[in-house]
Amino acid sequence: MTESFAPGVRVQDLTVVYRTPVGELPALAGVGLTLAPGTITGIVGESGSGKSTLALSLLNAVQPPGRISGGSVEIDGLGDVVRLTGDDLRRARGRQVGYVFQAAQNSLNPLKTVGKQLLDLGRSHDVADLPALLREARALLGRMGLDGGRVLDSYQHELSGGMRQRVGIMLALVLNAHLVVLDEPTTALDMITQATILRIVKEVHRERGLTTLIVTHDIGVAAEVTDSLAVMYGGRVVEHGPTMDVLGSPRHPYTRGLIRAIPRLSGDIGEATALPGRPPTLGTIPAEGCVFRERCPLRMAVCDTVDPAPAAYGERTVACHAVGRPVNLAVRKEYV
Amino acid sequence: MITGTGVTKTYRQRGNLLGGRDVQALRGVDFAIEKGGAVTFIGESGCGKTTLGRIVAGLETYDSGEIVIDGTPMSGLRHRQRQAHFRRVQLIHQDPYSALNPTRTIHQTLHAPLALRARQKGRSKAWAEERARELLTLVGIDPGYVLPRYPHQLSGGMRQRVVIARALTVDPEVLVADESVSMIDVSLRLGILALLKDLRERLNVSVLFITHDIATARYIGDDGELYVIYRGQVVERGPTEAVISEPVHPYTQALLSAIPVLRGVERPGAERVVPTEALDERHADTGCLFARRCPFRTERCESERPSLEGTVHGHACYHPQPRAVIPVEASA
Repeated sequence: MTESFAPGVRVQDLTVVYRTPVGELPALAGVGLTLAPGTITGIVGESGSGKSTLALSLLNAVQPPGRISGGSVEIDGLGDVVRLTGDDLRRARGRQVGYVFQAAQNSLNPLKTVGKQLLDLGRSHDVADLPALLREARALLGRMGLDGGRVLDSYQHELSGGMRQRVGIMLALVLNAHLVVLDEPTTALDMITQATILRIVKEVHRERGLTTLIVTHDIGVAAEVTDSLAVMYGGRVVEHGPTMDVLGSPRHPYTRGLIRAIPRLSGDIGEATALPGRPPTLGTIPAEGCVFRERCPLRMAVCDTVDPAPAAYGERTVACHAVGRPVNLAVRKEYV
Repeated sequence: MITGTGVTKTYRQRGNLLGGRDVQALRGVDFAIEKGGAVTFIGESGCGKTTLGRIVAGLETYDSGEIVIDGTPMSGLRHRQRQAHFRRVQLIHQDPYSALNPTRTIHQTLHAPLALRARQKGRSKAWAEERARELLTLVGIDPGYVLPRYPHQLSGGMRQRVVIARALTVDPEVLVADESVSMIDVSLRLGILALLKDLRERLNVSVLFITHDIATARYIGDDGELYVIYRGQVVERGPTEAVISEPVHPYTQALLSAIPVLRGVERPGAERVVPTEALDERHADTGCLFARRCPFRTERCESERPSLEGTVHGHACYHPQPRAVIPVEASA
């Protein structure tokens, strides 16, 4: 059995390419990201930013036509996941890394009860004591406010969206994984159900001593639960730091624009503006220079040719040529 | 202007051996959509807001009550006559990815309704071409770029704008936007909301906005009306800003409490209303529909159903009480 501890994760220089008719295009271009043990990290980004690809890389589960072409994903107690193959990889998935898939509501087998699927999971991981697994599952479901016995006897169509999401979380945790990845955990859920799921995620994270990664397009969701926040754009992490700091004083022009573009309940309606232009797709990510420059109000000559490397500013990492230059103070004012 | 009075709709579910179950999607809803106005329906999935939108668009029948369009009651009309009225109401679908025919270019998509329109108006083919360009420009996209392309070549935001342009081909007076921004990327969402607001001002079209995300309702116009719908009943109604800043119904407060707080930018409100249990459609219909989940319920709530009281800012609750549930600016 694995020890109970929250593992740290170090993603270094990770590059993932997708094969297309026009050659291999990078969905992730040299991404670096560290998840501190015991924290909840959020990855936010728009469609095509590479956030789901990065999350899948933690399981070494990028599907063809995509492949990890470089870099490493070091997970404490597991080593470099990129090098894992075959049975070692299969065992790591589920045992050490729990994954709650995007649209977990629809990722259950409609022909089997939840309990049967749980037993399949147990057998595929050579769990000797299946009754204990069932007990653990019932306890977890009970912890999330469900009637465990009833849920295990149910088919997916008998469960509501919020209940299925909790089943997804149960399946990710039942083998005692201490690194959990949640991909869009609340998309397609109602507001009140979303709030319930987020509360459960926070509580379970704390009680079980996990390292949690949440991938979402909804900054509000990340703001609510995460300790640290990474903002992705065009296959790069453009800003990363403590959540309160990143949201309270964003430094990358994309982060600033994104926060200003969120419809909110408080504040002046007139101050909110959409970002001009549109997010890049795999085919339109520029080959050189900064990926954000087409939409950037701080664009300079250097942005056209040199892709800015992430630079550390205290606890914050920002990848932008314009950040840290005193000349931009005047420009920055309108964003604050 | 479109008004509805006492609109009801019941869906009969085909049962198993134990018999079927009736779902009351709408239980006597009153509403009014002024010319050029903005009305938002909010509520959880299954509350009936989409059914109401489809009824307003003429895509769904209603069991009782009445819909009146510009003084003409719809229920007395024959199908064909009714269609002519409902043509003035156009629905913008939630999913811009499935709302456009993938085998047709945007030009073909827009040309079909415009050619029909040209015949009706006795205009030339050139008029239809010109109109297509005009509409695309109006919704903020470059006709030269978009017209020859297929939907899959466009981003979600662009597709949604094309869907809006297509709805405008028949010169509608009301646009029904059902969750029209929920599938759009965050950075582009405000652009679509601003477009709907702009269309109200420029073309004087009304917008019926259906959403579960209350915050977006603020952005289609500050003169908007908000209807909070719960299990087929309007439980709170009033000017959008008033309902958001001073909600009095516990259900509205629960919805607002559930919205994530943008920590670092906002602080949570002083109070928070959390339903005592999850939504269950099988809850008894006696008394207040929200009573089972309401932290403030009394005996009266379990036996009597409150009706919508109040004129400008109305609510259906025996114990209305303003609560500070929405986040406040962190700097304030």
